[in-house]
Amino acid sequence: MSVFYLVAFLAIFFALMTIFTKNPVHSVLYLVITFFTLSIHYILLNAQFLAVVNFIVYMGAIMVLFLFVLMLLNLNAETEPMKSNLVKIMGAIAGMCLIATLLGAFRVIEPSNLIVQGDAEVGLVKNLGKVLFKEFLLPFEISSILLLTAMVGAVLLAKKEIRKA
Amino acid sequence: MGAIITLSILGIILLYLGLYNAKKALLPVTLVGLVVAIGFYLALWNEAANPIFSGMVVFDHLAITFSILCLVITGLILLLSKEYFRSISENIAEYYTLILFSLVGALLVNCYHNFAMLFIGIEIMSVALYILVGIRKTDIASNEASLKYFLMGAFSTGFLLFGITLMYGASGTFDLAGLRNYVNGVTTVSPLFYGGILLMLCGLCFKIGAAPFHFWTPDVYDGAPILITSFMSTVVKIACFVGFLRLFSTVLVPLDTFWTPVLLTIVIITLFTGNITALMQSSFKRMMAYSSISHAGYMLFAIVAVTINSGSSILVYATAYGLASVIAFGALILVKRRTGSDHFESFNGLAKHDPWLAIVLTVAMLSLAGIPLTAGFIGKFMMFNQAMSAINVTLLVFAAINAAVGVYYYLHVVVNMYFKDPAEEFGKGLDISVNYRVVLTIAALLTIVLGIYPDFILSFL
Repeated sequence: MSVFYLVAFLAIFFALMTIFTKNPVHSVLYLVITFFTLSIHYILLNAQFLAVVNFIVYMGAIMVLFLFVLMLLNLNAETEPMKSNLVKIMGAIAGMCLIATLLGAFRVIEPSNLIVQGDAEVGLVKNLGKVLFKEFLLPFEISSILLLTAMVGAVLLAKKEIRKA
Repeated sequence: MGAIITLSILGIILLYLGLYNAKKALLPVTLVGLVVAIGFYLALWNEAANPIFSGMVVFDHLAITFSILCLVITGLILLLSKEYFRSISENIAEYYTLILFSLVGALLVNCYHNFAMLFIGIEIMSVALYILVGIRKTDIASNEASLKYFLMGAFSTGFLLFGITLMYGASGTFDLAGLRNYVNGVTTVSPLFYGGILLMLCGLCFKIGAAPFHFWTPDVYDGAPILITSFMSTVVKIACFVGFLRLFSTVLVPLDTFWTPVLLTIVIITLFTGNITALMQSSFKRMMAYSSISHAGYMLFAIVAVTINSGSSILVYATAYGLASVIAFGALILVKRRTGSDHFESFNGLAKHDPWLAIVLTVAMLSLAGIPLTAGFIGKFMMFNQAMSAINVTLLVFAAINAAVGVYYYLHVVVNMYFKDPAEEFGKGLDISVNYRVVLTIAALLTIVLGIYPDFILSFL
């Protein structure tokens, strides 16, 4: 349990650092650490597959993407979008409402609850595969259309238009 | 299921047709595919509606009627697309494919019985649309619309997913039947579940463009190519409403004291924002975007006062709204092609140049405004009836005020067409292709038939 509290503290700490640092590159690096602490959480929950995927996809691929975008955007003080006080106040109110809702929802969490505990072994690759190819076969197959759509779209948007009107 | 598989394969076939430059074959092949899909749905009509594929999808009458509606409207829109896409870009096959994939997503949302399917359906629908909205790569407005839609859409999907997670945390299942058993079975529903309802409400309200989650709607509808706008505001919106209705009518009815006040507030805000901002628009396309917000508000009536009749009310309203939108956007394409602008002034004196187009558009506008003898009137009547049955007099009063406001801006176009003189003389009238004439006439006739004899569609649900 003490490992959990340490990792949870680190996760929240680095998540806050992600928001509060001024430098975008530092922000991205803090985000990497946040993802890493989340991976540790998955391992603590015995969800090895999720931990590995989170490690590879989020910490690896998505972070590189983030850094690339930052590089291409060439951020500096002048291009920073205008943030009026009204927007900030509205954002704060909306955020507080969300926190209130979530705290209200979470107030009765009992870790001993059977539903919350569920099947402790389900996160292992073998069991996950069984669920995925039995009960969730249809969504699994249909997500291929989602991927194909994204692929067609990426090619369509990236391709150079030869014809000029 | 046959229909969904047909359309998925059809999408891939279209990609190959595009590869081999068979551009002439694209539209006929797509239409044949749509007809086959409708045939599959009709064949399912008399079968027992049990959830299939481990409870993933269910083809009950609700799913079948709305799926057929989506297919028919897509067919009408695609008939209009013949010359339109060619004027935007070269890669026509890809556009047909993306529209078909988006349609597949809509059909999945229509028939989901498990949150996994709802999520995948909404995602397929949205991802295809993000791209379609940004089709015109050189147009800044189109790019902005695409980016805005993408960011806001991703954000709202987050809300939807978090809501699903919380509901799962409370009940331990994604299955609608399981969730219903949970709600009916437990003595006190977990607060996690309530949190889940609120977050899902946010996510779904975003997708249907209800205020206060509507900020993306005008810019995206305005920036997207007109045909894509008409697809978004009809097929996609209808499918999201079916998803909304299915969740609330099968699972959440016992908890209505919790969510009715929330949804009621959303409906009232939606009606007023949609109608009042629509009043102030000078562009026809933006007016249609804001009016689509207010129509979402009217359709939400059926969910606020959810009864056994909600499905048929939404069906009639959605049919009326879909047909009228197809006419309105089709006419806008024709007018914009000639005058190059989508402002109200470009409709000036249209009745003299092309009486047919003016009459068809008038029918559409009257239907949207809810004037008797059009389908829109029956739709509004049934929605108001729903509100009456739940004894929501406040809601009814607000709705009546808004309907009156709506009449003003819809008739603005009609007045411009018949009573204003055109700004300059046009050399010749519009050259309207046969496709447009056929589609718009069919849609207008259906609007009137439904208005006079609504039983024709009511008998389905």
